[in-house]
Parts: sequence; C-alpha cells; structure tokens
Amino acid sequence: MENVWQLEEGEVRKPGIVHVVMLALFTGIGIVVGTFGSLAIPIGFVSAFWPGQAVQSIGSIWFGWWGGIAAGLFPLISNSLSGSAPLPVSIAYLPANILQGMVAGWAFRRFKSNPSLPTGKDWWVFILWGALVPNAIGAAWGTTMLVAFGLITQAAQFVSFLGWFIGNTIPTIVLGGLVLKYVSPLVVRSKAFCKDYWA
Amino acid sequence: MNTETTLTASPERAAKSRKTLLGYVPMVSPFYAFHPATRLILFIFLGVTPLFIFIPEMNILLLFVNLALLRWGKVDIQQLKIYMPIIFTVAIFMFTVVILAPGKDPNYTPLEVLGKTIYYQPVFFTFAAYWRLIAMLFGTILFFSTNRERELLVGLRALRLPFVASYVVGLSIRAAGMFMEDFRTIREAEQARGLDTKAMRFSDQVKLYMMYLIPLFSIALRRANEISNALFARGYTLTGRTSTGKPREDYIRSTYSYSKRDFVAIAFMIIIFVVTGLTQIFFNVFAIEHSPLNIFLRQALGIPS
Repeated sequence: MENVWQLEEGEVRKPGIVHVVMLALFTGIGIVVGTFGSLAIPIGFVSAFWPGQAVQSIGSIWFGWWGGIAAGLFPLISNSLSGSAPLPVSIAYLPANILQGMVAGWAFRRFKSNPSLPTGKDWWVFILWGALVPNAIGAAWGTTMLVAFGLITQAAQFVSFLGWFIGNTIPTIVLGGLVLKYVSPLVVRSKAFCKDYWA
Repeated sequence: MNTETTLTASPERAAKSRKTLLGYVPMVSPFYAFHPATRLILFIFLGVTPLFIFIPEMNILLLFVNLALLRWGKVDIQQLKIYMPIIFTVAIFMFTVVILAPGKDPNYTPLEVLGKTIYYQPVFFTFAAYWRLIAMLFGTILFFSTNRERELLVGLRALRLPFVASYVVGLSIRAAGMFMEDFRTIREAEQARGLDTKAMRFSDQVKLYMMYLIPLFSIALRRANEISNALFARGYTLTGRTSTGKPREDYIRSTYSYSKRDFVAIAFMIIIFVVTGLTQIFFNVFAIEHSPLNIFLRQALGIPS
C-alpha cells in the first residue's frame, strides 16, 4: 500500500506562500461550513450539529499545522457570524479547537494511515482519532468553558457534553469520511499537501 | 388604431444596502463616520463587557442599547430575523437542561410549577446567563451588520496585527465569499440539468450536500496555486516588506483617517470597560444577588438570600 507520508529520494519540502494561502482558503471553507452548520440546527452555544469539526480534522490530516491553525481560527469567525457563541467564549474555545484539528493530523502521520481511507484500518484511525477523540476533547473543554463563563451550571455540564459530543461526532464521521475518501487523491498530489507538519 | 405606446423611465431605486459576507450593511450609516478601528473596539467592548455583569436587568438594558445602535446605524432590522431561531432555541435548550439537571445543592429552593419540581436558584442563574449571552451576541450582530470585510481588515491592521495574520484573515473572509459563490454556481448547474432537490428525500438531500464539497475542495486547491503564484509574481513576502526591506505601502488603510470623535469614542469605551471590570472584580457590584428582580422574587417566594 502506498505510503503518502514517505518523502521521495531527494525530495525537499519547505513551508511556502502556498501553505499560507491554503490556510486562508481552508479557513474560508471552515467559516462557511461552520456558520451554516450552526444556523441549520440552531441550538446555541452547545453545538448539536457542527460539521465544522470534520473540516478541522481533514485540515490537519492534509495540511498539518496549517490545518491546525485554520481549525483554531475559523470558529472565531463562524461562531460570530452564526451568533452561536460570543467572541470571549469563542476565544476560550481556541485551545480545544486547535487540538480538535491536530489530533487527527498527528494520528494519520503516526500510524501512517492513508487519507483516502482505502483500508479498514485507515477508517478506524479516522473514526477514533479524527472523530471520537477530538470531539470528546472539544466537548469536555467547551462545556468546561461554558461553566467557567457562567453560561451553564456545573450540574448541566454532563448533559451538555453528551449533546455536544454526539451531535458533532456523527457529521464528522459522515462528512469527513466522504471528503477524505473522494478529495484526498487530489490533495496528496498538490503542492499544499504536507507530508510533515509544516510542509 | 394607434399602437404606439409611451415608455417612461421608472424612477431609479436607490440601493439602501450593500452585500457583505452573510448579509447586508446599510449604504449610508452614521457608523461610517468612525474609523474601522473604533468600530472594532466597539465590537470588543460590547462583546466583553457583559462578562462582568451578572445582573440580568443590566444585560437587558445593554441589549436595548445594541438595538438602539442598530436602528441608529440604519440597519434593516428585518435582516436580523436569521438570528431569531438561535435566540429562541438557546433559551429552550438552556432552560430544558437546567430543569432536567438542576444539581443537588441542599440549599436550593424547590418550586412546584405545572406539576414539575424546579429549583429557584439554578433557574434564575440560567435566566441571568441567557441575557448575558444575548447581550454579547447582539454586540457581534451589530458589528457584522455595519462592517464589511474590508473594514474588518483595516481595523485589524490599524490595531497593528502583523501583515501575514491580517492577510490570512482578509483572504479567509474573501475565500468564504468565493466558496459560497462557487457553491451557488454548482447548484445552478445542477438545476439547469433538471435536478429537483425539492422532490428528493431528506437523506438524499444530505448526501447531495456532502457531494457539493468535493468540487468545492477541488476548486479551492486550484485557487491556492493560482493565488500563491500571483503573490509570488507580485513580489509579496510573508513579512509584508518589499525587496528593499521597507514596509509595503498599505493603500486600503490610507483611505481611512482618525478624527476627534474616534478618540472620544475609544476613550469613553475604555473608561466604561475599566470601571465596570474593576467595580465587579473588587466590589462585586454587578453580582446576581443585586438584581432587583432576584430580590423581588426572593421576597415574594420567601427565599432567604
């Protein structure tokens, strides 16, 4: 099976302007997907359906840290545009949003999984490290921040966590799986694809 | 028979709004007399100040201030109806959660409402939290209803955000617009070929939505190459400096200038923010216990404070 992470002999990869541009474009995609996800099933700051998480995982798998930065940046804007979270709360979500993205990127590189998901192993790596673990981190951190900001009570945290985790994991698996399967063959041949974390 | 008809030109309709990322901003607004940096500071001020205020009446007042500013800014209030579902469902969600999971504090006061036991303290806390959230959200809505992407960019650059960061923010906001435009093109192409989404089952509509992303990502990849080549050809570097090492001229920023009213507005906001923050941190002035409604309800229900 092809190892897309393996450098070819003599191949040198350096971060360049194409990565910065891709970061911006990917952030733009995240803004749209995140905003319309929040507006489609509006349940407020406890996001019950947020396909934006799929974009976060995909971003770091394809573009390493550039995708991770996009994962942190786009919710700041999409949450403001959709009205799902005020600016200070969105800023507090930032570490979890970066982690939500980077966990998948780390796992695919660590386990040498193919982003096109050709085997069952690749699917399991994506489901576990691209959907379940990041959403557990995101939901735990997000609801903790909501308690810290005094927007929900401590007692309501577990119910909020479950709503957040389940509501985000399902669109991540469906949307993320499809996009990875069909778009990855194009991306891995592009200049912007990162075999390592920055290039 | 005279078949000649006279065509008179209809009076031209003056445009009242300008398209922006998600909605429209007014063509003419008193906000435009202020520098974009002042408007950005207003956004931060209105978004952060409610964090220090736990008294719901004050946050409701702040909400009215936001609505008054929207009206003063000539924003079409009708356009804000896209936010109505979120405003109602947030309330439903927050109150459902607090009724289902109120917590087990023995100091909570049980109340019988429609045959269901609810607890006063967590319910009033949720009521106060809801108005804090809405006050903060309307600060955000005000900003995005009176500022275009370009003004956000100028505001960020005026606050000395590094070139590469402001470039990424600017391009990402433009990319969101381009992404939506591409999405519209793909949908129209499908409709022109006879696709009727209304006749489709919900599950098929969801699948179709997923399938839109494939050409959209492909376009984004191609566009990343085109834009990076164009930037390279124009001599752009990530530092924002020219080949001689000097900072690149910022044309957009040069078209805006500060006036006395900007300094007055910024000073006013900073003073209010600092006073609010310090009085809450050191004297707990805006604590929920000081809410007149809370005091009234506690007295009416015989709940000790």
